[in-house]
Amino acid sequence: MSAPTSSAFVQTSIAIVDDDASVRVSLKRLCTVFGLQATAYASGREFLTALEDGGSRADCLLLDAHMPEMTGSELQRHLVAKGISIPTIVFTADDTPELLAHYTATGIVAFLRKPLSSEDLLAAIERAVRRKE
Amino acid sequence: MLRYPEIGTAVLYSPYAFLTAALVVSRRRDWIWYILVASAAHFVTHWPQWTLSWVVFADAANIARALVAALLLNRLVGTPPHLDSARSLTLFIVCAVVAAPAVGATIGAANVVLHGAASTYWQPWTTWFVSNALTGLAALPAAIVGFAYVFGISPWHPDRSRVIEALLLLIALAATCALAFTPGFKWPTLVLLLSAPLPILIWAALRFGPGGASASLTWITYSVIWNIDRGADSLFGSLDESILALQIFVLFTAAPVLWLAAIATARHSVAQLHHALLASLQDQIAILDAHGMVIEVNESWRRFAATSDAHAIHRVLPGDDYLAVCQSWADRGDAIAADVAAGVKDVLRRTRRRFELEYDQTQGDRRETYAKSIEALERAGGGAVVMRANVTARRQARVEIEEQRRELSHLARVSVLGQLSGAFAHELNQPLTAILSNAETARHVIRHASPDLDYLGDILQDIIADDQRAAAMIQRLRGLLKRGDRRLQHIAIRELIDDVLELARTELMTRRVEVVTDINPTLPALWGDKVQLQQVMLNLILNACEAMGAAAESGRRLVLAADFDAPGRVHLAIRDNGTGIAPELIDRLFEPFVTSKPDGLGLGLSISRTIVAAHGGRLWGQNNHGGGATMHCVLPVASDDGTTLPVLAAMRDT
Repeated sequence: MSAPTSSAFVQTSIAIVDDDASVRVSLKRLCTVFGLQATAYASGREFLTALEDGGSRADCLLLDAHMPEMTGSELQRHLVAKGISIPTIVFTADDTPELLAHYTATGIVAFLRKPLSSEDLLAAIERAVRRKE
Repeated sequence: MLRYPEIGTAVLYSPYAFLTAALVVSRRRDWIWYILVASAAHFVTHWPQWTLSWVVFADAANIARALVAALLLNRLVGTPPHLDSARSLTLFIVCAVVAAPAVGATIGAANVVLHGAASTYWQPWTTWFVSNALTGLAALPAAIVGFAYVFGISPWHPDRSRVIEALLLLIALAATCALAFTPGFKWPTLVLLLSAPLPILIWAALRFGPGGASASLTWITYSVIWNIDRGADSLFGSLDESILALQIFVLFTAAPVLWLAAIATARHSVAQLHHALLASLQDQIAILDAHGMVIEVNESWRRFAATSDAHAIHRVLPGDDYLAVCQSWADRGDAIAADVAAGVKDVLRRTRRRFELEYDQTQGDRRETYAKSIEALERAGGGAVVMRANVTARRQARVEIEEQRRELSHLARVSVLGQLSGAFAHELNQPLTAILSNAETARHVIRHASPDLDYLGDILQDIIADDQRAAAMIQRLRGLLKRGDRRLQHIAIRELIDDVLELARTELMTRRVEVVTDINPTLPALWGDKVQLQQVMLNLILNACEAMGAAAESGRRLVLAADFDAPGRVHLAIRDNGTGIAPELIDRLFEPFVTSKPDGLGLGLSISRTIVAAHGGRLWGQNNHGGGATMHCVLPVASDDGTTLPVLAAMRDT
């Protein structure tokens, strides 16, 4: 596997939102090792707070669909309401056609099934970066 | 035939017996034909020697008497009347020996007086009455038995010995009558003369019942009448004295002899029933007296006692000392014999009413299960009944039922887990996702010339932890999925609830259900099958989630509470604030195939209740006042010595 090397890619800032600590930490490691700037958040609320504080910017959002309190789509609604648009990659273990259709309708970059292969993930991130550009 | 000379009335009037007997054994709508035939016979034999009006009047008296007797007998004694008890014989005498002859005498005496054959009314009345009463007493029972046989109502299937005995009786009767009553044969006294047939009458009564006794009496009576006719003077003195002697004889002999016959019949039929009953029972039965001696055994016992398999305690026969045999085997170390001996002693002493024992025994190459019970004999003399039955088939059926129950319970469990499959996929995918990402990161890191080994160590540590997490998850699932045998153990309530909540965690999260637990930390452990109790709790929790589907997401709240109930019992409550139980379902909630879910099988609650009941507990549901429903489950705690519950013990042993 070879990492994309475009300068735009390397400077990309990734926000990871997942309630599961193991998944969160491992995804952050994976992104970091491929040269991405990754920050992990345990919940949608935590991410929103960081955005509001202004200390955070995100070029791409890695979002778990399945979380307590605030699900992935709820977070998306909050972002839309705040006028924030971030290219988003949604991942889930529960890839029902209904869920896929729901997220596709919101204009996400990719819908990935857990466990994620690094190739799929990096390819999706690249697509997200291009969309951002 | 012997008649009272002045009024023409027979001493023993057989037509009364014949007509009455024909009526009591036939259908009422046929009575008219018998009455017509009897009347015709009456006319042929009496007219024209007697005037027409006399014959008609006398016939009316005969018919009235027979009708009264037949109606009363059918009503009070039966159709046909069976003289097989002291009570039925008493009623028979009241109807056929007192009431009907009185009616006949009232009409008959009026006839005699109206035709100027007697000056007073009471003299012919008494003559008529005594004549008919004697007929009723001596001849009617035999006539009824005879007619019932002829009409096919009471078929008689005697064996050869019985026929021979009847013939011997007949010969003895004929010989005695011939000897005693033949003119010229001088007996010392008159009393002795008439008591001669008594032993034969008693024989007839004891062995042939009221029918035989009555037939013998009739024979004797006619024998005496015939002999008086031939030479009255030489037999009993004058004609009047002879008639009086005969009347006294019949009156004082017939009633006691018939009574004896009825009681003998009653005893005989009770004894027959008793033997038939014992013989018809498949169980082996022995009856013991108060000292443990065998009084009686049935056919089944006798058959088994004759086989080589039979243990010595089952080879005892009437006259043997059962208790002593059991005791001697107990002394030789036979555990079953010791149990039985103790049980027999208890029952004979009345310290307990019943003793039961189930044990296996090898018979040939088969292993059979026997149930033995010893039951107190409820009678003045005490004693006990020993019953032994082969219950192998019954036990086999019980094992099969338990097997099916377990199968069904397993299916229900699998189906509950099926509902959670999405949640389980999610739970397993979390560690797998982390493991994959960590592994790919590590692979990338080691391509560097000088990889950071500490960093790699952290990654590997996380991989191990996630792997263990996935394995634990699979282990939990496996416990519920596999079709294991019942395993009894101590179960901490906190642990039980936490395990189930862990299984349902993702489902509860997805459904946005807030879970509150309120568990008394001092609760003792339960004793039971953990998997089964988990199944019950999981089922109740998922039902509650289902019920809260319609409630607003923010308000879904599941409360799991556990506290003391009655001493030795724990009360678990699973309270939701969902839609509650539909009124039409509330009474049938635990019946199988009753469900409120469109795709539900309706087995979950019914199986849950079976499981709870098998743990000696109780499961029920009710609606809350403020909306939603609560399922209540009361379970016994493990006893102090940690021993098992009787209910579960029985199930485990099968």
